Amino acid sequence: MGHGGLRRLALPGGLLAGILLLALITPWLPLPDPVRQDIAGRLAAPAAAHWLGQDEYGRDVLSRILWGARVSLSVAFAASLLAAVAGTLLGILGGYFRGVVELLTVRVAEVVLCFPPLLLALLVVTLLGPGATTLILSLAILFAPGFARVAYAETLSARALDYVTAQQALGARSGRILIRTLLPNIAPPLIVQFSLTIAAALLLESGLSFLGLGVVPPSPSWGLMIRGARATMEQAPLLLLWPCLALSGVVLVLNLFCDRLRDVLDPRGRTQGRPGFLRRIAALPTPASPASAVPGLLAVEGLTVALPGPAGAPLVRDVGFTLAPGETLAIVGESGSGKTMTALAIMGLLPGELRVVSGRILLTDDDGRARDLLRLPEQALRRLRGNDLAMVFQDPSASLNPLLRVGVQVAESLHAHGATEDVQARVVALLREVGLPDPERAARAYPHELSGGQRQRVMIAAAVANQPRLLLADEPTTALDVTVQAQILALLAALKRAGGAMGMVFVTHNLAVVAEIADRLVVMYAGEVVEEGPVTEVFAAPRHPYTAALMASMPEGEAERLSAIPGAVPQPWAMPAGCRFAPRCDFAIEACRTAPPALVAPAPGRRTRCLRWKELA
Amino acid sequence: MSAAPLLRGEGLTRAFHRRGGLFRRGAPVMALRGVDIAVHGGEAVGVVGESGCGKSTLGRILLRLMPPSAGRVIFEGEDLAALPAARLRALRRRMQMVFQDPYGSLDPRRSVGAQIADGILIHGLAGKAEAGERVTALLHQVGLDPDHARRLPHEFSGGQRQRLAVARALATRPDFIVADEPVSALDVSIQAQVVNLLADLRAELGLALLFISHDLHVVRHLCDRVVVMYLGRVMEEGRASEVFHAPLHPYTRALLAASPSLRRRGNPVAPLAGEVPSIANPPSGCVFRTRCGLAQPACAEAVPPLEPMPGAPGRRLACRRAAELG
Repeated sequence: MGHGGLRRLALPGGLLAGILLLALITPWLPLPDPVRQDIAGRLAAPAAAHWLGQDEYGRDVLSRILWGARVSLSVAFAASLLAAVAGTLLGILGGYFRGVVELLTVRVAEVVLCFPPLLLALLVVTLLGPGATTLILSLAILFAPGFARVAYAETLSARALDYVTAQQALGARSGRILIRTLLPNIAPPLIVQFSLTIAAALLLESGLSFLGLGVVPPSPSWGLMIRGARATMEQAPLLLLWPCLALSGVVLVLNLFCDRLRDVLDPRGRTQGRPGFLRRIAALPTPASPASAVPGLLAVEGLTVALPGPAGAPLVRDVGFTLAPGETLAIVGESGSGKTMTALAIMGLLPGELRVVSGRILLTDDDGRARDLLRLPEQALRRLRGNDLAMVFQDPSASLNPLLRVGVQVAESLHAHGATEDVQARVVALLREVGLPDPERAARAYPHELSGGQRQRVMIAAAVANQPRLLLADEPTTALDVTVQAQILALLAALKRAGGAMGMVFVTHNLAVVAEIADRLVVMYAGEVVEEGPVTEVFAAPRHPYTAALMASMPEGEAERLSAIPGAVPQPWAMPAGCRFAPRCDFAIEACRTAPPALVAPAPGRRTRCLRWKELA
Repeated sequence: MSAAPLLRGEGLTRAFHRRGGLFRRGAPVMALRGVDIAVHGGEAVGVVGESGCGKSTLGRILLRLMPPSAGRVIFEGEDLAALPAARLRALRRRMQMVFQDPYGSLDPRRSVGAQIADGILIHGLAGKAEAGERVTALLHQVGLDPDHARRLPHEFSGGQRQRLAVARALATRPDFIVADEPVSALDVSIQAQVVNLLADLRAELGLALLFISHDLHVVRHLCDRVVVMYLGRVMEEGRASEVFHAPLHPYTRALLAASPSLRRRGNPVAPLAGEVPSIANPPSGCVFRTRCGLAQPACAEAVPPLEPMPGAPGRRLACRRAAELG
């Protein structure tokens, strides 16, 4: 919960606190007795002695509103509390123990939910007779199933979590697990449900009192006040207004409080920012020099991506590389290295809050003209995506629409770029090309009918549908089993051979996969390129200690003990002043810690960001 | 390894019931079928296989976090299923678990110190004050700053959280730990740190370990013995170095050939066609035969038993063509 969240709660929280305080201190306020009648002042208009006027028995309306708030709020609060405790208990027990307990608790609660609430309340009140206690009891019975449902659903999802299993593995008793582990973790939605229930109970209490089944006169209650005012509506319409205002005001404040509370308790932050091109253009200075012709297919120059704000830490800093037609370049790095962000920046698909601060991404057209993707209008970029530029993502289950047949989804990428003829035949041909058995049937299948590997094949078919000039693959095999990973790598290699001039940027954390698929590699660490070169040369003789350490930590050597890199990747806001790898580097000397090293070329076609590369050789 | 094993699983089978219609149960899905396994005191056993092979189910059944549908688990001569609840809870002190997802296995709302202390307090191994000292020592032992005991899990990185999970498992001074893919969610450099930590702790404390993984390479670095599983059955079993250097079962060979390697360059070739069949509808006979290059019609007829290899102590193989493979 951040400070921003608390600030959002301040307004409704303050209002709510004010209302509660007013209700609490009412007995000490200099108010007339709310039940003292004054027949002479019957239906009197607001005056200095009676700010809101007098009702049909000449009682002071302001006093009755405030005393009524005490009654209405305490009934609503007590009923909600009772409902929350009982409902949560039923829900948790049902969700945790399942079986017979579930039948006895949650299912019974569901039966209660089937009755129309007002009818049920009427039934209970008729059976037990009116009065505040009956009212609390009947409201609690009405609202408890709601809590039971929420608690049950939350418990069901929480009990499958590893930290609950871990408690069982530790030998904890069920009671301890329920109270110490489950309850705190399912509390947020229950708290929201609680405030919503208070508002609902308030309304229902007033409704029942209005019908004469709730609070017994002459005790003041908002429902009773509305009931009384209704009779004299034509002579004194204001009398109807005051309790209605009080009721709707309190309910609105409660609802606002709930809305904000839900936001604050939800750990997922909200994203903001202007969409697409506007956002990109706002952040970018004009290009340093006009886009000149560059050799190759893709050239990334000085790409820097940062969080917004003047102090926004750069997550990708001054990244540059080139790609020739027909070449496969691997971008390798651990989590936090900025490799995926670099790929997303090329596609113009950076998540909402991130922006490119500087740099150029030049893609060469068919006719040899280079275009800066960062400064292209969104519309032009959209035409490129899926056409010249295509991307395959890590999780094939999350990137296919579960409601559409996969053939339709592959056809979409053809339609989006103008194909109208024999789309169906082309879809089947594509699915055959990516190695799906029985492509005609596969085209009619829904994503859930395919396995993970088959789904990834479909994603690849959609990506290569328009013969892209550049294919970006972001960890396309990470979510797959090794035997299937080998198949997908073989497929990508085969497509590359068949595609001729198609260039591929392959983002991965796995050096061994790089060895199998790439021609050249770029090693990234903490947002920077630290080494670049042809795969064979880099693996034979790494020129950066990070690359060497990464290779050594692969569990495939003969060594008895794995060699680990101590420490962890630094966070973007706590980058070391000098070389970013220095704190974890065995070779670091004082000079490494004072100034960031520049990228140097130890040999043609190779680059390293290390002061001591000569000594490494 | 002639002494009685610390823990033994016999004929472990587990069926999950899918939701069927109103009046009938869905067809059972057999996650595990007749698996025998033994872990001796101080021994590290690796369980390797792809998704759906039943390796995680096996780990949970051995710790009785899930009852088997058939078969029994015997810990130091006692059948876990026959133990009264209180005895089982007490026995849990001696067998612990480390989970795969370092983000899901720690309670996000309690301090890490309190979570590590849980096991100590549950089993009454120490008072509150002494438990605090033990937590400090444990954090130090897994290479974390003891001053961080009051922090919440989200303040730690993935690798650090996995160390915390190891510390929590060690807190009760167990004899046996099941580690379910403890490094597969971690970066390579961090993965090596955690594997080394487990190796050190094992040497230091004489722990028995069941290390579940999809990566044969990692298993070989840590384990004495390895069990290779496919679709709920054991395909091959033996000393880790032997299985790694001279795999016999066609599946083990394919698994090794499929793992990408720094030393292999050039065009990748997939060793196996197709994917793991649905566990709900496994092939008849040998479950691997649909993807096996050596399969014969006879392989579809009967399930090949897991049989000891003559001349190779501890090595067992479930393949009809075993004689030709050696």
